[in-house]
Amino acid sequence: MAAEAAAAGATTAPSVTSRFDEKFLRKLESLVMAIRRTPAGAARGARRSRRVGAGLEFADHRDYAPGDDPRTLDWNLYGRLERLAVRLYEEDEDLSIDVLIDASASMGMGRPPKLELALEVGAALGYVGLANLDRVAVTALGDGAPAPAHARGKGAILPILRRLDGVRAAGRAPLSAAVRGFLARRRVRRRGLVILVSDFYDLGGARAAVDLLRHHRLEVVAIQVSAPDELAPDLRGDLALRDVETGDIRELTVSAAVAAAYVRRQQALVRGLESFCRERAIPCFTALSNQPFDAVVLRMFRAGGLLR
Amino acid sequence: MGIATLLSRGLSPAAAAAVGAAGALALVALHLIRLRRRQVVVAFAPLWFGDAGAARDTRWARRLRRLLALALALTIFALVLLAAVDPQPVAADQAGRTLVILVDRSASMSARDEPGTRLGAARSRARALVDGLRPADRALVASFAREAIAESGFESDAAPLRRAIDAVTPSEEPADLPRALAFAAAILAGRPRPTVVLVSDGGFTDDARRAPPPGVDLRYAPVGRRGRNVAILSFAARRLPADPSAVDAAVVIQNFGPAPAPIIVEIAAAGSVIDRARLALAPGERRRHALPDVAAPDARLEARLLAPDGRPLAEAGGDADDLPLDDRAFAVVPPLPRRRVLRVGGPDLYLDGALYGLGRTVTVDRLEAAEAGHALGRAGDYDLVIFDGVAPAPAPTAGRYLYLDPSGPGSPFAERGRVRDPVIAETRRDHPLLVHVDLADVNVAEARRLALAPGDVSVAGSFGVPLVLARERPGLRIAATSFDVRRSDLPLRPAFPLLVANALAWAAVDRSATALPRAVTTGTTLPAAEGAPETAIDTVGFHRLGRELVAANLGDARESDTTPAAALALGGRALAPPDPPARRGFVRLPALALLLAAALVLLEWVASQRRWTS
Repeated sequence: MAAEAAAAGATTAPSVTSRFDEKFLRKLESLVMAIRRTPAGAARGARRSRRVGAGLEFADHRDYAPGDDPRTLDWNLYGRLERLAVRLYEEDEDLSIDVLIDASASMGMGRPPKLELALEVGAALGYVGLANLDRVAVTALGDGAPAPAHARGKGAILPILRRLDGVRAAGRAPLSAAVRGFLARRRVRRRGLVILVSDFYDLGGARAAVDLLRHHRLEVVAIQVSAPDELAPDLRGDLALRDVETGDIRELTVSAAVAAAYVRRQQALVRGLESFCRERAIPCFTALSNQPFDAVVLRMFRAGGLLR
Repeated sequence: MGIATLLSRGLSPAAAAAVGAAGALALVALHLIRLRRRQVVVAFAPLWFGDAGAARDTRWARRLRRLLALALALTIFALVLLAAVDPQPVAADQAGRTLVILVDRSASMSARDEPGTRLGAARSRARALVDGLRPADRALVASFAREAIAESGFESDAAPLRRAIDAVTPSEEPADLPRALAFAAAILAGRPRPTVVLVSDGGFTDDARRAPPPGVDLRYAPVGRRGRNVAILSFAARRLPADPSAVDAAVVIQNFGPAPAPIIVEIAAAGSVIDRARLALAPGERRRHALPDVAAPDARLEARLLAPDGRPLAEAGGDADDLPLDDRAFAVVPPLPRRRVLRVGGPDLYLDGALYGLGRTVTVDRLEAAEAGHALGRAGDYDLVIFDGVAPAPAPTAGRYLYLDPSGPGSPFAERGRVRDPVIAETRRDHPLLVHVDLADVNVAEARRLALAPGDVSVAGSFGVPLVLARERPGLRIAATSFDVRRSDLPLRPAFPLLVANALAWAAVDRSATALPRAVTTGTTLPAAEGAPETAIDTVGFHRLGRELVAANLGDARESDTTPAAALALGGRALAPPDPPARRGFVRLPALALLLAAALVLLEWVASQRRWTS
């Protein structure tokens, strides 16, 4: 805690790290203020999870199923509709937030690199969580470092930033393997929220990773980061394409038709991720690497679903 | 057939080997360079390759495709090189001929009895000859009308020969066959198996059909289907000697066709029609149509042949006329001549009256008889010097003179006595001095018996005694009467002023001989004249040469007679037809090679697009 206090005092320093400077911190503070001004109900001081009968605030109905507690039956509804339904309540809980940032080599691609925005968004979300008195840990997947402990309070942001400052896009492991490693190293075995920031190029691996997280009863939020030059590449001619992660080199003559096919596949990838998340009620956001991180985060909060 | 039995018609074997080696090296180098593609790092390569990206290429497969691409390129290059070499069997070369394809482009070849013109048919025939050349034959295309022109060099390739044939243009000149054959023989001299193929309608004069140059195998390829033509053979206008302000014109027309030809002859001056006559010409009929007194305000006259409906004959759509070129003719009315006459002698009202009647275009100076000796020194300044009763010594050797009753040592004709009351018994009506002159019943009191020197002419005489004499030597013309006209009734007759006028016109002929002729036929080369260099007249129409205006017409009956000659004999020997064309395959080897190369290029492109090859 002493270190955290020292770190909190350091927020006034002109430059915290080479990547996150004082201006970045001021933007974080402004972001928190802006989120608090969002319409009531959209953001509260604590995360609520949907558990039957555990909370005090009514959330929703669902059809009765054998085994449900009869005490949760809504008899008024039965009187009106002659349908058995149980009442759902939202329960306040002490929430742990894990921000997982994909630091594989593909995240280093793009102009500007996708990893830059991913780190900034991860840091911003972490700071918002700390400001909401949640337990927050920001982890870069693929760097092999042990998962950091969850921190609490705004003063904990500086160690997080220092940790993120050293992150480089170099990992070559699939996302599913990285998530599996994260889960293995995770110190807290409890439910919580996992915000996964990645380019999700390996869609199959991404699905496996999300399912793995959900298997561990973690709620998942997906943020897909893309680079503008990857969405509309200007490559043409006879090329030898080297995959940054696998290192495989294949020759290709990029014509207009080939470039158009690439764009179609890129769009299909995005649609596939969105469809996958929609099927699992997972909030999914997309961002371009040349967008300001605060605008991205604010858009996420205004869209809802990230924190309730 | 082995390689050793082939001969290159294009690149030599050495050059082909050099080009082949260089090209193959270049292709291999380009292939190696092509293998080193620009490497680009991408975030997720499968996005670029799609489902195909799932199937990883094996290294040997990639190599095989690259080798296939190189093999395709080398094959295409080899085929193009083969087309450039154009190999032909050697055996054919040993029997190679050297041909001159001589295309007639004279005026008659513009006849429209063939589709297009005869020249178009001649071009087609010449192209067929070129296409039928044997592999070892070499040919040159030449054309001729009045002159012969080489349109190409000796070539074995059909393409330049075809271009040369296409470049042959029609001429409005008559053909000079002996000159063209001499030209062809000259350029064939010393070449193997010299052969001339004459592509023509055979419209040549008998004189031109003399024996061809020896040592040349002369063949004849005829063109032309029929001979139907009505032509203006000549058209001329002249000023009347008796009245230089008046002009008479005459046009000669002939129907060369086998059917009667009703036509209209129209003569225009300065664009206005001044005469229009309907004629019906029988087959082969030649007719002269004259306009005795043309009021010609302009120096240009044009005669036209029209169909009975008034349209130009060649456009009327009938079969009467295939050659429009000779349906128009042109003439220039000569300007009024300006003459100077020196009259030497005593008073003579009759002579003065005759000179006065020559009009204002004749200037008359006078010298008394006592000054007759000065006249000889000034003779060069005058068109005619008239000695009336005087004959200064010595007799002149140059100049133009009219002596009336010459006598004494200065007389150009020796006197052998006198004769009384001579009767004019002999006249030469065809002599220029007697044009329109009638001396019948002229009474002469006394005449001198003048002796004729060799070459002198008695234009009119009385039983061997010359009464009107003419002497014509180089630079000298003398007309004379052997009697004193005042002692005859000649001055009282119209013949006297005509005789004086004719003497002036006859004497002045030589003086105007250095001027350009007013009417010529196409193919004439006019000598250099004042203000104009030597000029070849090659088109029908008016030509301005310096300050002179000259009218040119085809004026060649042989060209206008478009009856084609299916066979031609020169020097009594009939010319053989050209050899039949050499057998060729449906597609020549170079074309086949190029087609194959193009197909391979297309295949390679498709393969590349479909990614069968890299």
